[in-house]
Amino acid sequence: MFSLTNHLELRRITISSLITCIYLPSIVTVVSYKGLLYSVGNASSFYILVLIFIAELLKSFYLNSNNDIQAKKKQSKNKAGDIIRSFVFLLCVKFCFFVGIILFGAPVLDCHEETLMLSTLLTLLTVFPLIVHTGVETSMQLLFGLKNYGKDTIIEMLVNNALLTICGAWLGAVVIPLDWNTPWQVWPIPCYLGAIGGFLLSNVLTVLKVTLMSAAQKYPALNVLVHVLNRFQTSK
Amino acid sequence: MLGWIQHRWTGLFLLFLGLASLVLFLYGFFPLKYHSGKLSNIDDLPNFIDGVSIDGHQVYSSSESSVVLMVIDGLRYDFVTEEYMPYAGQLLKNKTACIYVSVAEPPTVTMPRIKSPERKKEKAQWRRTINFWRDIFAMMTGSVSTFADVALNFGAPAVQGDSVLRVAKARGRKTVMYGDDTWLRLFPGLWTEYDGTTSFFVTDYTEVDNNVTRHLDAVLTPDEKKKPTFDFLVLHYLGLDHIGHLEGARSAKIKPKLLEMDEVVKKIYTAMQEWDRSAVLIVCGDHGMRDAGGHGGASSSEVLVPLWVARAQDFSCPHPVGPGPTVAQVDLAPTIAWLLGAAPPGDSTGRILPSLLPSDVREHLYLLHVTAQHNTKQGLSTDAEYYHQFKRAEKQFSHFLVTGQQSAAKIAKEFYEESLEKMSEYLNVTTTSFDMFAIGVAIVMLYLIATSLLCVTLYSLQPDRARKTSTITRQHNTVSFQGSLVALFVVVLICSIILVTACFITETKSQVCSFTPEWIIQFAAIPFAMALTYFIIQKGVEKIKDLSTLNDLNTIDYLLIGGTIFHSFSFFGTSFIEEEHMTWYFFWNTLMFFVLVRTLVIVIMYLSKKMTGATEVQDKPELAQRMTAVGVGIVPKWVLLIALHRYLRTMNQTGDRWLFLPDTADWLNAPENAFYLQAHLVIGTIGTLLVCIRNLRYMNNVLHIHTILTLAAGFCILSYRISTKTLDVPLEDIQTWDPVQIVNVFWAVLILQFIFEVLSYIGAFRTCGLKPLEDITPATNKFVYNVPKAKTEDHFYDPVMDEPWNVEEVKLNFVRSSSHLMLNNMMLIVTLLMRPHNVIMVPSIFITCKLTSKCMDHKLLDSRSGKRTEVVDILSRTLVHMWIGILFFFYQGNSNSLASVDLGSGYVGLREYCPARVALRMGLHAYAGPALAGAALFCTIAAQAESWKEYLQQTWRATNILALHRVYALVVYCIIATVFRHHLFVWTVFSPKLLYDFVATVFSLQALGTIAQIEALAHITNKLARIFTNRSKL
Repeated sequence: MFSLTNHLELRRITISSLITCIYLPSIVTVVSYKGLLYSVGNASSFYILVLIFIAELLKSFYLNSNNDIQAKKKQSKNKAGDIIRSFVFLLCVKFCFFVGIILFGAPVLDCHEETLMLSTLLTLLTVFPLIVHTGVETSMQLLFGLKNYGKDTIIEMLVNNALLTICGAWLGAVVIPLDWNTPWQVWPIPCYLGAIGGFLLSNVLTVLKVTLMSAAQKYPALNVLVHVLNRFQTSK
Repeated sequence: MLGWIQHRWTGLFLLFLGLASLVLFLYGFFPLKYHSGKLSNIDDLPNFIDGVSIDGHQVYSSSESSVVLMVIDGLRYDFVTEEYMPYAGQLLKNKTACIYVSVAEPPTVTMPRIKSPERKKEKAQWRRTINFWRDIFAMMTGSVSTFADVALNFGAPAVQGDSVLRVAKARGRKTVMYGDDTWLRLFPGLWTEYDGTTSFFVTDYTEVDNNVTRHLDAVLTPDEKKKPTFDFLVLHYLGLDHIGHLEGARSAKIKPKLLEMDEVVKKIYTAMQEWDRSAVLIVCGDHGMRDAGGHGGASSSEVLVPLWVARAQDFSCPHPVGPGPTVAQVDLAPTIAWLLGAAPPGDSTGRILPSLLPSDVREHLYLLHVTAQHNTKQGLSTDAEYYHQFKRAEKQFSHFLVTGQQSAAKIAKEFYEESLEKMSEYLNVTTTSFDMFAIGVAIVMLYLIATSLLCVTLYSLQPDRARKTSTITRQHNTVSFQGSLVALFVVVLICSIILVTACFITETKSQVCSFTPEWIIQFAAIPFAMALTYFIIQKGVEKIKDLSTLNDLNTIDYLLIGGTIFHSFSFFGTSFIEEEHMTWYFFWNTLMFFVLVRTLVIVIMYLSKKMTGATEVQDKPELAQRMTAVGVGIVPKWVLLIALHRYLRTMNQTGDRWLFLPDTADWLNAPENAFYLQAHLVIGTIGTLLVCIRNLRYMNNVLHIHTILTLAAGFCILSYRISTKTLDVPLEDIQTWDPVQIVNVFWAVLILQFIFEVLSYIGAFRTCGLKPLEDITPATNKFVYNVPKAKTEDHFYDPVMDEPWNVEEVKLNFVRSSSHLMLNNMMLIVTLLMRPHNVIMVPSIFITCKLTSKCMDHKLLDSRSGKRTEVVDILSRTLVHMWIGILFFFYQGNSNSLASVDLGSGYVGLREYCPARVALRMGLHAYAGPALAGAALFCTIAAQAESWKEYLQQTWRATNILALHRVYALVVYCIIATVFRHHLFVWTVFSPKLLYDFVATVFSLQALGTIAQIEALAHITNKLARIFTNRSKL
């Protein structure tokens, strides 16, 4: 549940979500316009991941900028070591995703390239923003529920994003076995697009919620909607 | 009657009622019409018409000719016009050819949507064969086929009964077939010459037709006496249908294709005119196509099919130009048979095409007489109007034969035609229409039963105290016995009045409403069942007050319940029926993922607390308590389980769309990988044995007799495998043993184990009477006293004060041991029946069940402590065991198509065919997953119950939940099948699934019955033991 107390934070969240809502659809649009949407699982589409990587990195710099004094202290202490550690951690997470995806039904002997691309995307959209924002230890603790994110709105948003991304990828798999005979019912396109869709949906919801919350201050009737949205996000 | 809802086996009884309703539904859904299989003979032709003699043989075969039947797949009515087929249209205009509208029955033929590589060809072909079945069956046997024909013939898709080809062969006619090889498989050995083409590649629409046309020149060339070289030629062109599937009926490729067909017609027709023999060309489609391509609905463009007829010599169409009269597909059979000079096929119900009937009055009347008489033999009642009409016609005919009066001939002709019309109408109605009244009643019944089962289940899920208060209140306002009888009577009366009124209002022709003696009992049973459900629902609504236990459901429970409910509704899409396994795999994956996350979080929480300091763990002892039961190892175990399931999922490709993909089973069965196959077999068998031996600890394993017997059974299984050469071991001795004998020994071992168990309990019980041991048979007394296990001994040596014979403890022990014995025996039997690569499933089911019940324990997953979770536990456990069962049903390679039934398993250890035994084996083999998972569920319940009462209660709940799910699935599926009864796939997809549901219902009834039997056996052994003890005391 977001709180309205910290206006600066809220504004940051809104703006970063809005940026996501703009840049992700535009990437997808451009790719599909070029007719490359169905090759999204190949290694040739690596540039999409690079784009997302850069965008997420910039976003988290924006989110982090002169906000958290403690984090700044840490960063100044040992920056290079931190980066290497997070990189290794990200690789580990990616490998975990890879194994997990195969365990849950991806082809074992072939399509490794596609599965790798999907796991990279998932890592980028779920764990990567968390790590850049909070660092390796805190994000691990957050992931396993050891630490409650309490009133940190940014982290709450990031965790929500991660959850919906996984949900999207998971639900994307539903369409693969159906008999529609469309060219995109191929591993991993639905999951890939599902993950992006989930991420996007989460960002849209965030923007919607913040807008509604600020509007609800003027028109209290809108509180019902805010409540519904909150329920939706907590029910996960 | 008020106690019904409280009775423990009400659920079972309601399930039985559900099965009865399902049978009623099936009766309405599959019109029961048996093809007699009677073969006709040319000598059966009548030689006397009402006492007047006539040379039937001579009259009948006076117009023998060669017949060319050209079937163009997907030819719809408006294609046979001058625009598309100029030559054929021209002939129609000249009246040298005739056209009829033939009506194909809605579920028509379709093409498979996949191209299938050679390997899995057979399975895919089988499905196609059913698709073709109906039309070819109708054309060649002259009778509309029912689903029963397909179902009863599965595995061997050849037509068993009489057909045009059979009678032609009996008369020594030469039959030639060029075209789709389904014809060859339907009528094997009946063709003199043939060239079958396979048509798996939908994208190919030239080659399939060229393969047919290339033979034309040769076969049409007459011999030196200008006679054609064949009597009956079938050409089946598939190209048009392929184009329709690919591009639709408005495609630009349609016209060239039809022109090509027209050329073929022209070629045949001109060739025929040169022959020195009368010849007939029949061109027809077997179904139409939609404008968008494809076919399957009941729209006129799909159902109306042209039937184009031309005779080479002196023929003029008697009908006016334009759309011809309507005929049926079945009319082709008697027509062709007659043209070939053979008797009409035994089961044919059609009539001869009017335009081909000879102009000679005598022959004409005689043919009408033959077909009418033939039709009357098809099980028609003799007191109907059409029969009298037929008799009158016969009189007039004989009158004509004697006097030669033309007026009599005219009257006879009219009468014959009228009665033929009525007969074919009647036969069509009885064979093809659904009995909607029966279907409706069955669905209403199923709905009522499902609702009452829901009431019973919810009632049983209430916590004890809520039920107890309700029983107390019940005693307060108990109605007298007579009062309840009157209430019952009134409700039954109301229900029967409603039913009878419904009968008369709908004016149904259904047998259910016929009020004949054989139906009156069933008819009377329906109101009784309705009254029963009424009372249960009423009581349930009254008594269900406290469902607070259901508040403890967690996410996983919601997933289980939601998934189970949603799954039944997913059947509204046909591909969800064909690919049902995908739904289950997805659900199961989601479940495993949820459980993984939950356990992972708990374990990491526990570990980090433990690492940061012991005090914190002490602060929260309940976390530690929760963990000690399972240990940290649960997470890696769970991951391994996920990996195991990933592997098992690849074992057998099933369903329809991905059937052709290579799977692990194919790889294992390749000769070069025999070693791995045998490794699977051995690991599976040994794993099963280990599990069995582990389960022995719940039994009265005196002197390790059970261990020895189990090992003996295991040895039997292995030696069976060796003797059938599936297991390659250099043991010459065993290889020569007779498999049948081995299996007999195996059965004997299992029966021995069971008898031993029961006996030991009877004997064990009387020793509780603190009697000296001497006067007991030596065998049984040893079993009790020398038991090395402290547990059982405790029960016997530790008598409770006021109940010296601790009956309940022993009963619980007996139930425990016999449930485990049931599980063990079932596992062993299934291991024996399974295909070698599937044997590994058996221990996997057990491991999955064990681990899942451990991980899904509410005490572990939910942090709230101090609550009794047995109600939610039993709910989630029952559901998850059901899921596991279904999951393994599909892992094993089963699907909702009849093609995946493994016939081989039915003959394990049998020397000759015995329907009951084969069916039982096949059933147990197909439903091994659900059966083993269910048995494991009841074992867990028995093993974890702390008291006899708790066991009874948990069993009651589990039974209700299982029965509720079964009936719920039935009612939803029956509604779906009814909605889609005119769907294209009603035969290939919906009906087999209905059969599978039927078998599943029978088996769950049987399984729950077994649990009831075990309980009954516990009581009986108790009684027997009491008798023994009393005697020994005396």
